[in-house]
Amino acid sequence: MTDADRPTRTLPGPAALAIAAVLGTAVTFVVDMGLLWWAALIIGVVVAFAFVVLTRDMVPEEFRAGADGTREEGTALHNTLVVPMVLVLSLAGGLLSAWLLDLQLIEPVAAALGGLIGSALAFVLFHRLGAMLALSFAAVLVAGVIATGVTAAVLFFSGIPPTATFARMLEYGTRPDSMVQIINDSTTYYLAAVAVAIGFKMKLFNIGVDGQYRLAALLAAAVGGYLILPPVISQIVVIATAVAVGGAWAGIAGYLKVARGVSEVISTIMLNAIATGITAYLLSTDRLAVQISTNNIGTPPMEESAWVPGIPAGFLGSDNEIFGLVFLAAAVGVAYSVMLNRTRFGFELRATGQSQSAAEASGVNVKKMVFLSMLFSGMVAGLVGLPQLLGSSHYYALDFPTGIGFIGIAIALLGRNHPVGIVFAALFWSFLNQAAGILPFDAIPQEIAVIAQATIVLTVVVVYEVVHRWGRRYQQQQIGRQLGGTVETTGGGEAK
Amino acid sequence: MSSTPSGVETSGPPAVELHGITKRFPGVVANHDIDITVAPGTVHAIVGENGAGKSTLMKTLYGMHRPDEGRILIRGQEVRFHSPSDAIRHGIGMVHQHFMLADNLTVLENVVLGAEREYGIGRRARARIQELSDQYGLGVDPDRLMEDLGVGDRQRVEILKVLYRGAKTIILDEPTAVLVPQEVDELFDNLRELKREGLTVIFISHKLDEVLSVADEITVIRRGTTVATADPGSTTARELATLMVGGELPVPELRESTVTDHVVLSLDGVTVAAPDGRPVVDGVSVDIHKGEIVGIAGVEGNGQSELIAAIMGMRPVASGSIALEGRDITGWSTLKVREAGVGYIPEDRHRHGVLLESPLWENRILGHQTKAPSVRGRWINRAGARADSERIVEEYDVRTPNIDVIADALSGGNQQKFIIGREMSGAPRFLVAAHPTRGVDVGAQSAIWEQLREARAAGLAVLLVSADLDELIGMSDTLHVILRGRLVAQADPTTVTPEQLGSAMTGAGLHGEDGPTEGDSGADGADGADRRENGGGA
Repeated sequence: MTDADRPTRTLPGPAALAIAAVLGTAVTFVVDMGLLWWAALIIGVVVAFAFVVLTRDMVPEEFRAGADGTREEGTALHNTLVVPMVLVLSLAGGLLSAWLLDLQLIEPVAAALGGLIGSALAFVLFHRLGAMLALSFAAVLVAGVIATGVTAAVLFFSGIPPTATFARMLEYGTRPDSMVQIINDSTTYYLAAVAVAIGFKMKLFNIGVDGQYRLAALLAAAVGGYLILPPVISQIVVIATAVAVGGAWAGIAGYLKVARGVSEVISTIMLNAIATGITAYLLSTDRLAVQISTNNIGTPPMEESAWVPGIPAGFLGSDNEIFGLVFLAAAVGVAYSVMLNRTRFGFELRATGQSQSAAEASGVNVKKMVFLSMLFSGMVAGLVGLPQLLGSSHYYALDFPTGIGFIGIAIALLGRNHPVGIVFAALFWSFLNQAAGILPFDAIPQEIAVIAQATIVLTVVVVYEVVHRWGRRYQQQQIGRQLGGTVETTGGGEAK
Repeated sequence: MSSTPSGVETSGPPAVELHGITKRFPGVVANHDIDITVAPGTVHAIVGENGAGKSTLMKTLYGMHRPDEGRILIRGQEVRFHSPSDAIRHGIGMVHQHFMLADNLTVLENVVLGAEREYGIGRRARARIQELSDQYGLGVDPDRLMEDLGVGDRQRVEILKVLYRGAKTIILDEPTAVLVPQEVDELFDNLRELKREGLTVIFISHKLDEVLSVADEITVIRRGTTVATADPGSTTARELATLMVGGELPVPELRESTVTDHVVLSLDGVTVAAPDGRPVVDGVSVDIHKGEIVGIAGVEGNGQSELIAAIMGMRPVASGSIALEGRDITGWSTLKVREAGVGYIPEDRHRHGVLLESPLWENRILGHQTKAPSVRGRWINRAGARADSERIVEEYDVRTPNIDVIADALSGGNQQKFIIGREMSGAPRFLVAAHPTRGVDVGAQSAIWEQLREARAAGLAVLLVSADLDELIGMSDTLHVILRGRLVAQADPTTVTPEQLGSAMTGAGLHGEDGPTEGDSGADGADGADRRENGGGA
């Protein structure tokens, strides 16, 4: 095609998408016969991407608006940032899905399907990815690179070869059993992070998730252990107990904030300490606990009818099971997203978080919002212990996992309080935890994972803020330029 | 006054030269191709309508942002400012439109704050402040507490702050906007004193009479660029106005009266207490009728904001009652008041009117989150909110690429037009308009006035609070003066002059006029003048 006929020909959006997808899949499939699957896939997606770039002017206008609506295609930012970001993201998407599919399907099919997904992503992202979202992805990418660099430097100066260590972690972290563990950990972390994020959206810092989930898990376990109820009803009662306890415990902090002006940071820290005291008091053989083994006590184990069955992870090649409550976490995520973006309550929550004074002047009852968001945060926090309780341990004992509330804070920060962002943050976090498990066998300190986690949280927060601010200023300038043009023409007289 | 430029020593290069300054900035107006030369030892005025780009230009000169193109020369030497401290180092100081003073500190502490390295914080600093105050006739006492000072004194402290940091060129950004006419005269005496001592003053304003009385040279800015330089001795206000707007200045005025005898909002002895129990709004009684605009004039901080907050249910009413269409709404929540048909244009739109980081269509929902078309029951109606935002953008001429940009990306005038469009939707019965045209360009200003006029003709009752006396006089059917929380005088907007209004606002009463004066204004006037020591001294 020549430059001259480009603007005259048009190509309907869906047709262009179909061509790109078919092209990418076919190229991947053909090249796969000669090369390794990942090389074939990269070539396939790049070909599809090139097609999308070349046909950019032929796709009709309404298919092209940026996510935040400004005319972005063709601007310097779009060319230098969004376009490369699209290529990186579609390659990553294609490779990841091909690798996952490969666990189930034969390799050529998996590679071709990966090519299909990558090519489709290339088209959709190229026409729909807004500069601000691309900036966010770029920020995360940069933060990842910095964090990897810092971790590598620490390893290097400790006399440990960084690349070999990373390769070892990657290899161990992607074993089937590790993946099941990662998914299970992420389920728990995700719930904790959503609980924290609900508060963050209101500029409330619920440090008390930790105490809320421990108390909720203990009491829910006691209810499940002592009350013998028919299946389904039993699970519902246990979950309801946990939600109620978590909500009530956080509600105390919410009430203190609203009625007495006590900072929720202080009160939730105090409530954590009190929760520790209460669990220690209740978890004694005189009260709620029974002897579980010679040196462990806990609530009586639940009947099998009260368990939540796991999902066999055969499709990942593992004999272990994924927590059934992963669906509960997904449901919480969807509910969080819908609540935030589609309901009046969510709007008022975000408005209060952005500007308390504006919310007040608009008739939002700020005190009510503070109390309710604290309450909801606590209710979600109550769920944190349940995947473990109902899916694996079936009782609350001295060895029940602690400290998840604090991990939730880090993950909420990492995922920018976004329902989907938190998913990736949680998966990444538990991947590092799990992958580091192999290091002691090679006499490498396991704490390297903690260093990586800490640096990534810091860098993401800082880089994201810097990039976001810069992006906003850039966007303002773009708008100023677009509108400035019209003013100058009506200004009369002056040369442009 | 026309002889002043010749009186200046011609020796030495110009104090400030700006050549070809271009600054692209979010909003409607960008500076482009600005050329200004300021002679040393003069008062150089820069005039232009609201939003013409004067403040943007001065922020460039003060190093708050860098120009995209162009050169800045200070005393003949090219400079590049990366921050205000660079500008200060080169002897440029700026007094902002909104004072940046800490109320709970003394004058001395405020002046020294951030400049501790100059003369320390103790005796030397006090001596220096006294010396500067005497030298330039500012009459500032270093040990007074800032919260005890009036607006004029605060401004002199701001000027002193700049001098203390060694400024030789002082930028005053709209210094008269917050002053009543009498205080303006005092300020101008101070400026002449500064000039006599060899300092250079750059004076930004859009008030032509003031500019003509104090400036040695005038540069006119229109739509972001310099259009003319005028000599105040041979120019009239009318000529300047024509240069400024490229036509006639819009004048706020109402056509025939639409006032009916149907009372929409009735305030009866409304009193609002400060946290310490002192009344900040004291027994305000006023009726606002259908089709009437009631203006409230007053120096800022005399209870206007609190009165509005009380009507909007944002502050408790200590005593008295508020009735809307005969229904007692005292003590209602803000939401209920809004749902009952009260629109609210807040005085500080960034704090109370918009969510800066949210897109325009989400801002459409703000304050109307319980009413169609933004919501359907408990759910946000995206399509409805978006469609109605499009309508507002269209009808109120909001200059924006689309409704998905965040509010922060728009200029103040366009944000304000959007807010007004939002508050006018849903056919409100009563509108609280606090400074509706503050910081808004002339085009938007006349559009906003027109919208208010149309709504009034359609039967809207409006409470208008403004610092712009011309706007108050031009737009009001009834005009009250508020002083320390009380309505002290009622003026007839068809006959009252800004000067008379100004003296009533400081407590001197509507002298030279036989209009009705409300009960206790005499006593108040006396002690008002007392409190503001140099009330009539100039």
